[in-house]
Amino acid sequence: MNNGIWVSTEDLNREASFLQSAENEFSVENIAETDGKWSASRRDFLKLMGFGLGAATLAASCEIPVKRAIPYVTKPDEIVPGVANYFASSFVNGGDYCSILVKTREGRPIKVEGNTLSSVTSGGTSARAQAMVLSLYDIRRIQHAGTVENGEVKKLSWTELDNKIKGQLQLGGNVRFITNTIISPTAKKALAEFTAAYPNRVKVVTYDPVSSAALLSANEQCFGVRGVPHYKFGEADVIVSFGADFLGTWISPIEYARDYAAKRRIKSLDGATMSRHYQVESHMSLTGSNADNRILVKPSEQGAAICALYNEVAALTGGSGIGGPALNDKAKTALKKVAAELVQHRGKSLVVSGSNNVMEQVIVNKINDLLGNINTTVDFSVLNNLRQGNEVEMARLIGEMNAGQVAMAIVWGANPAYELPNAAEFKSAFAKVNTRISFSSNMDETTALCSHAAPAHHPLEAWGDAEPKTGYYSLQQPTIAPLFDTRQAEHSLLEWANSQNLNRQDPQPYYQYLKSTWASEMFARQSKYATPTAFWDMSLHDGVFEAPATPRTVSFNAGISLNSGSVSQPGSAELELAIFETVNIGNGQYAHNPWLQEMPDPVNRTVWGNYLNIPVEWDGVNNINGWKGLNDGDNVEVEVKGRKLTCTVVRTYGLAPGTLAIALGGGRESGGCGVGFGQNVNPWLPIQGGLIQYYAGDAKVSGKIGEDKHFACVQHHHTMGVQAMGKEEGKMINADEKSIGWKGFQGSLTDRSIIFQTNLNELPELAEKMAEFHHEAEHLNQQTLYPDRTDYYETGLKWGMYIDLNSCIGCGACQVACVSENNVPVVGKAEVNRHHEMTWLRIDRYFYGDFENPKVVYQPMMCQHCDNAPCENVCPVNATNHSMEGINQMAYNRCIGTRYCANNCPYKVRRFNWLDYTTADVWPSNEERVFWVEGEDKPYYADNLVRMVLNPDVTVRTRGVIEKCSFCVQRIQEGKLTAKRENRAVLDNDIRTACQTACPTGAIVFGNLNNPDSEVNKARKATEVLAYKVLEEVNTRPGVHYSAKIRNANEALS
Amino acid sequence: MLLKRICWVFSLVLLASFAAQAAPTIEAGKELFTANCAACHNKNMKDKLTGPALGGTEERWKAYPREDLYSWIRNSQALVQAGHPRATELWNQWKPVLMNNFTGLTDEQIESILLYINDVYTKKPDTAKGPETPGDQKKDSGNMWLFGGLALILALLAFALMRIVDNLGNIARVQAGQAPVSRTLVQTLTTKGAVAFLVFALTLIFGYKTVDNATRMQRQQNYQPDQPVAFSHKIHSGVNKIDCQYCHDGARRSKQSVIPAANTCMNCHSAVKKGTQSGTAEITKIFASIGFDPIQNTYIPDYENWSDKQIEDLYKKWIGQEYMAANSLTAMNDAGRTVVETQWEGIVKALKNDSNGKIQGPIEWVRIHNLPDHAYFNHAQHVSVGQVTCQKCHGPVEQMDVVYQYSTLGMGWCINCHRETEVKFEGNEYYKQYERYHQELKSGDREKVTVSDIGGLECQKCHY
Repeated sequence: MNNGIWVSTEDLNREASFLQSAENEFSVENIAETDGKWSASRRDFLKLMGFGLGAATLAASCEIPVKRAIPYVTKPDEIVPGVANYFASSFVNGGDYCSILVKTREGRPIKVEGNTLSSVTSGGTSARAQAMVLSLYDIRRIQHAGTVENGEVKKLSWTELDNKIKGQLQLGGNVRFITNTIISPTAKKALAEFTAAYPNRVKVVTYDPVSSAALLSANEQCFGVRGVPHYKFGEADVIVSFGADFLGTWISPIEYARDYAAKRRIKSLDGATMSRHYQVESHMSLTGSNADNRILVKPSEQGAAICALYNEVAALTGGSGIGGPALNDKAKTALKKVAAELVQHRGKSLVVSGSNNVMEQVIVNKINDLLGNINTTVDFSVLNNLRQGNEVEMARLIGEMNAGQVAMAIVWGANPAYELPNAAEFKSAFAKVNTRISFSSNMDETTALCSHAAPAHHPLEAWGDAEPKTGYYSLQQPTIAPLFDTRQAEHSLLEWANSQNLNRQDPQPYYQYLKSTWASEMFARQSKYATPTAFWDMSLHDGVFEAPATPRTVSFNAGISLNSGSVSQPGSAELELAIFETVNIGNGQYAHNPWLQEMPDPVNRTVWGNYLNIPVEWDGVNNINGWKGLNDGDNVEVEVKGRKLTCTVVRTYGLAPGTLAIALGGGRESGGCGVGFGQNVNPWLPIQGGLIQYYAGDAKVSGKIGEDKHFACVQHHHTMGVQAMGKEEGKMINADEKSIGWKGFQGSLTDRSIIFQTNLNELPELAEKMAEFHHEAEHLNQQTLYPDRTDYYETGLKWGMYIDLNSCIGCGACQVACVSENNVPVVGKAEVNRHHEMTWLRIDRYFYGDFENPKVVYQPMMCQHCDNAPCENVCPVNATNHSMEGINQMAYNRCIGTRYCANNCPYKVRRFNWLDYTTADVWPSNEERVFWVEGEDKPYYADNLVRMVLNPDVTVRTRGVIEKCSFCVQRIQEGKLTAKRENRAVLDNDIRTACQTACPTGAIVFGNLNNPDSEVNKARKATEVLAYKVLEEVNTRPGVHYSAKIRNANEALS
Repeated sequence: MLLKRICWVFSLVLLASFAAQAAPTIEAGKELFTANCAACHNKNMKDKLTGPALGGTEERWKAYPREDLYSWIRNSQALVQAGHPRATELWNQWKPVLMNNFTGLTDEQIESILLYINDVYTKKPDTAKGPETPGDQKKDSGNMWLFGGLALILALLAFALMRIVDNLGNIARVQAGQAPVSRTLVQTLTTKGAVAFLVFALTLIFGYKTVDNATRMQRQQNYQPDQPVAFSHKIHSGVNKIDCQYCHDGARRSKQSVIPAANTCMNCHSAVKKGTQSGTAEITKIFASIGFDPIQNTYIPDYENWSDKQIEDLYKKWIGQEYMAANSLTAMNDAGRTVVETQWEGIVKALKNDSNGKIQGPIEWVRIHNLPDHAYFNHAQHVSVGQVTCQKCHGPVEQMDVVYQYSTLGMGWCINCHRETEVKFEGNEYYKQYERYHQELKSGDREKVTVSDIGGLECQKCHY
């Protein structure tokens, strides 16, 4: 092992197959062989050559097609063709929120950036926000209003639909809205108008795809406030999270991640401080993988763990114990130490829980109360509005529908037929409703059951506002005219309510409605602008308007009695199944977005589907095996509550003993390209006390019953620097050098330097070790045959990047941003299986420490832009070479596809276009195996609507060429041009790479290395010797710098 | 002493020049004409525009007092109402076009304008002169003669040498007592060496031609397609001297130079409703594209919803009306009907096509300058930063009635310019960062900094 770091079981076991896959840049299979039809013989070669010559002659004699240049008739003032416009807007999807800037070119949105003016998200984004632009161009969107028949929308004009629905409303009867959390104040106002128009008949039923109802109820009981407080992760010295994935999915992850990372950044070597983060969980979540210590409990032991911590804290603070269910000894001992530390940091600690059990949340509140955290790190003066759902209401609604008390149901932004555990009950009850209307833009499971479809605009086509936190407003504005004959959902509502406030003569009635709401309500909350128009214009320009409420304090309701009997009780079953939400797919809301489907799950690194996480076991001698001898990609049958599903397994680290885990969001049945991937596990979720619990207490798993032949996990693709036992050599060698068979050159002699990590208390030792390492590497690098060209790069600009591994949480926003910015194609599951994924930026996940409960380091890895680039020397056609600005350039039109460069790249960051993924070339036969959504008549990227998402400044690559990270050269060129035109030097702000702008924690910094005052140099210098280059000793001289991963683990626990 | 005298003389000259301000001059006339008259009267003084051609005005007003001409220019309608014979004649010829009033013009100023008009009118037409076209072609053909001559001399030399070799061989043979061999020309030409040389030469020529033609594939130098509107750059840019970037306003700030929108055309053509060459035939196409009613001088509010018939009626009426006015007809004649019909067909052909089934909507120009998708070119970089003139790449557009592609737009052509062009280092803070170059320039080690010196030949400056 290298620095005690490993990537997977195969790595630990040094399996032959792994060695082979690490040796080869690409899949072990030869594409020519696997294609079948390409058994290339001499005759075939001659045939092809003949055809090639003929085709070339034909092409040469053909006339060049006439191209048109079509100007505007009346050019809008704000558009200059060729120059991007940015509009401030908001990404809102149920409880997911991000303040964004939308980049448009010639009137079409192509990229989402974070809005730095928002103090909620501070310019950070999430993978979900980044991917929203692709869903705009989804050809499977519902394109007009109508009646729903057999999963198809039969067209009605909007007037016809309005008349029908108004007619139904005239008949009387109850109307029910089914929604996910709505954070728009104006939408709520429209709802209120609708409710007032039909008095005593209308009710809005809200639930969340992944519920936090218990948290809301507990806060109502404890503090009299039904809401989520602002958790100050940036001010807590000790954080304890009971299964709350607050960096990935829990409530407001972008905001939490920023605060969390800020507290953990190493600002200088002397006197470095960090918060300490304990995660009590049963499977490794994104947040857990970032924690300093993970305490493993079974899913059913969460309640016991919370009680245990409470009792320990109470014992130290003078509270009274409440007893509680039995907890495993290891966790119990650990929690005792945690309690001591929490008490030490009274008022500067924070305990949160993702549990959906009210009593558990009450006890967590009480712990915070005992620790003096209420009104300090748990701040109720600003409420977070991102979770408002309550599934108890939903159950009540099902009862009403069954009793025939509901005449009309309007589904708005929710998909209960898929998302609810009791979806079957819902479906049968829903069928009893006379008029069922859906605002959904896709034919999802619920819309298919509706009688009418009134498709709403995509968020990028719609007006709207949001109030993610009380007093923090955010506007949403359209960035493109509606692509289809859809209508703003709020407009439909007001129309059906016969609202007098809706100006139907206006081309955009809801815009006027929104504006007048802001003039009458938000305008009054500020004094900066004298007129509503000025206020509106500035708010729209900024995208946000913030008027935080005055601070207020709450106190814990003394009347509450804590009862350990109401917490979840540990089960006795042999196997429990934790069911969790992933950062990319959620509970299926994002399953139809191919960018998110192909973004690897940060922890398991699987794509396209949800997989059953099984533990690995050490046989006590040599090998680590998958549980029950299962291997990645094996299919098993899982039975919960008598419901059987066939799941594909993936071997995982960090599961609590006796626990398996599986993500939500798989097995979508209709609505888009996510159909058919994974399994829908929602029906497995138990409901206790009306609330959904995210684990199954008793699961039965069969042995292997088959294999997923397209099992897609990118963990072993593009592996670098892994050591293994050489068969012939009988000693440890570097796996990817085995094929070279030439030992004794630089790099193979030493441990390869990819990850440096240590614990905060051993920081001085690491600093010493790294100083020594830098020194040694420098010495080695002087023994080079290559001429030193340092002075060549010293004049002008020299681009470089710095990635703080301590701030990187592995959320994957950068990866999706890169895909969006650089026209990186989606290749589909089968192609990922063949190692053909095209992502320029991958986030490597490394483990270290205890096999059973390892720690994780995430490392964003892209082209390192080496000044001594090994890839450049081996290109026979000089298609890749170096610029004087330090960029490793790739000229696609020169590349002939030898792939020597990819083979020679020590970082494995070069990607080859095996197929015509973007259907960019002229041979239709190349389109056969590319990403093709089931049931469509052409490949995904062959559709002109989808292609509107492409960035016009970046070449769309054809089959047969290599591509890789370009440091967003199009942005560099643009930034330089701006500076030149403005007659000034280039500033840091002129050029920010896509990954940099996407990052919620500011882990990535890009800039000019020749400028001593640039952000990148400052960041690099701040961490001194902790900054390193990957494989520094092999003298590639990368332009990307990393900093060592530092943890603040409590070593007494491990 | 001397200094004092110079000062004195100088101030006298200055004074004189001030005094001259009041007296009519051609320069002042030009300025006044551009500011006041050029919007309606043609700059060449020979052709009609919105108003009549002004050349020979003085001649035509000779019969009347000079003051009549002044008052005509200041307020033409007043003179018409007063029943002035020349004024009435003009009004009948040009009504309903009203001439603006210029009550602010002094007699001297009007004289200046008249001086300028006469100057332009009597001068030989001054064809717009573009930048020097590179003399490459001339030089090339000169070289061709040189090479041809050289080849001929070398061939003669080779022939002579061959004869000498033959003769020497024969002498040697005769000396050795053998019979001399005499080879015919055919024999000489079919020797192994000659055939080998021929094959070699042919391969070379064929290979060169293949490569040369292959690089030219997909290139369109001299491409000069017909455009939907017979727009003449010569008239706009050459004769009327409209700045290129007035219409192509993207060139300074965007990667695209931008084909102007119809509303840009309307900035002038809402007043200039007839072309100097084509009359109503071409400019009406702009009206039909954007929905401008030239008869009422207004934009049509719901033009989007107009039927083809409505559009046809309007513009046919306009064309007919103008035809009758131009030919002083009171009723339409057959020739006029043909003109109306032909021009209307031209409008339909220009505006209706497969992608746009309507007359309304954009004019779809044929794109002349096409770069492959993998080449990135930015106009702003070249125009704003590099200060390259448009003609450098696009040629003498101001002399082109129909635009053609002047340059190859091949990569070699780009690269060559990047090699030769000097970067305007001074005066732009951006280039301060190239400290080494600045030092070298100062110390004299470096003569100039070309685009290639700051990375202008690197792949990823244009390919990404």
